[in-house]
Amino acid sequence: MDVTSQRTGGALIVSVEGRVDGANARKFQKAVESVIEDDDGAVILDMEHLSYISSAGLRSILLIAKGLQKRNSQFAVCSLQDAIGEVFRIVGFDKIVTIHSSQGEAVSAMGS
Amino acid sequence: MNKPYKILVVDDEPDLEPLMLQRMRRHIRAGRYSFVFARNGLEALDRLNEEGNIDMVLSDINMPQMDGLTLLEQIPKVDPNIRSVIISAYGDMKNIRTAMNRGAFDFVTKPVDFKDLQITIERTLAHMMEWREALSYRDKLVSIQNELEVASRIQQSILPSEFPDDLRYQVYGNMEPARDVGGDFFDIMLLDEGQIGLAIADVSDKGVPAALFMMSCRTLLKGVAIGLTDPGAVLGEVNDLLHEDNETMLFVTVLYAVYNPATGEFTYASGGHDAPLLIRSDGTVSLLPLTDGIALGVAPELEYKQHKIELSPGDTVVLYTDGVTEAQNTDGSAFQVDGLHQIFAGSSSYLKAREGTDLVFEKVREFMGEASQFDDITCLTLHRDT
Repeated sequence: MDVTSQRTGGALIVSVEGRVDGANARKFQKAVESVIEDDDGAVILDMEHLSYISSAGLRSILLIAKGLQKRNSQFAVCSLQDAIGEVFRIVGFDKIVTIHSSQGEAVSAMGS
Repeated sequence: MNKPYKILVVDDEPDLEPLMLQRMRRHIRAGRYSFVFARNGLEALDRLNEEGNIDMVLSDINMPQMDGLTLLEQIPKVDPNIRSVIISAYGDMKNIRTAMNRGAFDFVTKPVDFKDLQITIERTLAHMMEWREALSYRDKLVSIQNELEVASRIQQSILPSEFPDDLRYQVYGNMEPARDVGGDFFDIMLLDEGQIGLAIADVSDKGVPAALFMMSCRTLLKGVAIGLTDPGAVLGEVNDLLHEDNETMLFVTVLYAVYNPATGEFTYASGGHDAPLLIRSDGTVSLLPLTDGIALGVAPELEYKQHKIELSPGDTVVLYTDGVTEAQNTDGSAFQVDGLHQIFAGSSSYLKAREGTDLVFEKVREFMGEASQFDDITCLTLHRDT
């Protein structure tokens, strides 16, 4: 699991690569929180290279989203692989977390 | 030999004392239980203070001087490790819920079925022993591995130990925990008019906090299911109760179904859980439609849709957790829903509940080969005979 970030337009893009499961979910959450803490704007979590996420990983995303909500920052995820999108759909998180099909779409939606 | 477990029975009904001693006589003679009695909450507190080593309390709700609900608030002040079970009127959901909120571990309904009571007592005692052990581990600040062991034993202690015995249908479930994760459970509840409630669930994390979240989920589900018949309404209630002060964002995916053996109606609702698999008696396999509910504990006041199908004699429904579909082989590919389909495609009507569950475990293990198990694997099968 690897977390990187870059600023594009009005949003901070955080990209996650590899697997997020019970063994590294907390590490993933801390890594994301540390890159977003110095920022007060919108955050997009890019999952293009995320190959697997367990329920512990989904919980980390909820905690990240909750933290952002507290500081009134917008949050969305984008570029989900099919299997990950299916997990979001089954667990019902597609109704709780904003999902965009691409980074570009997410950035322009955040800007508006 | 160990000392008997000391159980304090609180009820203003004088007949309960001789009845309890009579019905539990074998367990008393065997040195498993000893009983102490009180007629109201105040007397109960006196006994708790005098005796000093009471393991569990079994209390009625309506009593003079101090009622059972007030007593529940007082017990932790004497000893926070005592576990309580409430005896309530059938369907008295308001009081049962208050009791659960005040820390009751479980409840039995009047008229008391002593066989059921004994199972409840054993389960409560088993849980209490795990809890005491968890506390002593915490005090010793032992490694994560031990904490996970404790969590996994809490998980085992809430699984049903018996399956309903009915000529019209069969139910059989099994759970195999992963070494590092403990989040799955299933439960079977006997409801009004011979109906049964079936639940399968997956909590989103491991360790002791997740195991305790799992326990409250199971208890709430059981409490709410007895008062409500619609699976969708049950999930809505449990979701609201779990969501209250859930700062940790732990959540649980639940598939809850009610089966009516008289009509063959199978009604289910999903809270973020995988869809059940239906195997018709002619061997046709299909995935039942998802009801689009959100996992429980995340957001308040959600509505859960439900879906109803009719089972004919010989039909089978398989409930499972993602530990089955996401099981990986050594190449890193997953078993998937297709794997489940293949197990049952073309199987005939003599497929029974236990065989169905066993077959899933056998095939998943075969698929995994030498690969390690990342998640709990759980499967619960219902089969209609007649």
